[in-house]
Amino acid sequence: MNDRIILRITDLIGSPLCISAEDGQKVFEKLAPLIREGKKVDISFDRVTMLISLFLNAAIGQLYGSFNEEQIHSQVTITGLAEDDLDMLKRVEVNAKNYYANPKKYDQAWKIENDDEE
Amino acid sequence: MRKPVPTIRTNREGFNSLAGIAKNADQINFEKIELDFSSCAFFEANMAAPFYAVLSHFYENLNDVTLLNIPSGIEMILCKNQFLKQFDRPVKFDTYQTTIPFKKFKKSAGEQFSEYLNLNMDEHGIPKMSPGLTKKFRQSLFEIFQNAAYHSESDAGIFTCGQFYPNMHKLDFTIADAGIGIRDNVRRFLKFNISSRHAIKWALEEGHSTRSGNQPGGIGLKLIKDFIEINKGKIQIISRFGFYEFSTMGEVFEKMENDFHGTCINIEINTNDTSIYYLRSEVVR
Repeated sequence: MNDRIILRITDLIGSPLCISAEDGQKVFEKLAPLIREGKKVDISFDRVTMLISLFLNAAIGQLYGSFNEEQIHSQVTITGLAEDDLDMLKRVEVNAKNYYANPKKYDQAWKIENDDEE
Repeated sequence: MRKPVPTIRTNREGFNSLAGIAKNADQINFEKIELDFSSCAFFEANMAAPFYAVLSHFYENLNDVTLLNIPSGIEMILCKNQFLKQFDRPVKFDTYQTTIPFKKFKKSAGEQFSEYLNLNMDEHGIPKMSPGLTKKFRQSLFEIFQNAAYHSESDAGIFTCGQFYPNMHKLDFTIADAGIGIRDNVRRFLKFNISSRHAIKWALEEGHSTRSGNQPGGIGLKLIKDFIEINKGKIQIISRFGFYEFSTMGEVFEKMENDFHGTCINIEINTNDTSIYYLRSEVVR
């Protein structure tokens, strides 16, 4: 038996458009249990024609809230992404790590005294 | 009730004027509203999107809206971009292929938005960009569209329209909704008061998102801003009393006099840049 599970994005979400958080959530809900079970997963973005950060935040970024970086990188391989989309994925991952490390630390800094502007 | 429609360009004054048309719209019910274009010297066609967002506030309260005294040049372009189809005017053929039609989408219509872009964006004078940069432009439009779908909380829909201005070498694509706006979303999230323009500033920070649930987000607008900087184009964000603009001239956050009930984002692409260029990630080392 092949010890790597192949997760084809277009088959899972039924579309070549990776543009919604809901579809990203479907990917996350398939991935997370597999990682938890110690499985190795190949995520294939072959035949995807549009990919945005909104989808990646939910599909991949969310993993950083449940698993550490070493676990994700050792068990998950991503294929089929162009170089500029890989750049976007890296930004999504950095953002996710920052988010889960410091969810709301700096929000109060935005509170301006007497900001009565509409 | 008659209200004047002044000259509308894609600038602070134009957005402020559109917002002014719907002043007190929430208190007007079952009326016949006549929008008078007598004093409108020019109406930039892509502004049909935020214009419709403004009109939808009248429709919400079951008012009837008619447009009067539209100068012939303005009527022509608004027929060509199919906006006046909403008012039973016939569509006119766009000889020079400079319009990207006005269209209303349901919030769930991501696939239809994709088809609309495929149909209307090619061979419309979009600059000769590398495939990577063309892709970034479309990704930007999807980021904006999907953000509107989630954050607007409005069933009125999402309104889009584009216009190529060959003499000025620019292409404007405008996406608008008539929803709750960035300010109230951010106020609800932060649990304190923040002004419209500061709320836009907050939303532009990488990593800031009002999306509920324990999920990271908030990099879409930053990705778009980075793309616009490379292209030397412009992005404008208008929501409630806030007006934001980023271009080669710098960054501006201003308060408008009038309240734009909803959110509008306009991306302006510089089409004068005819050289083929690559994003940093595409450069061969």
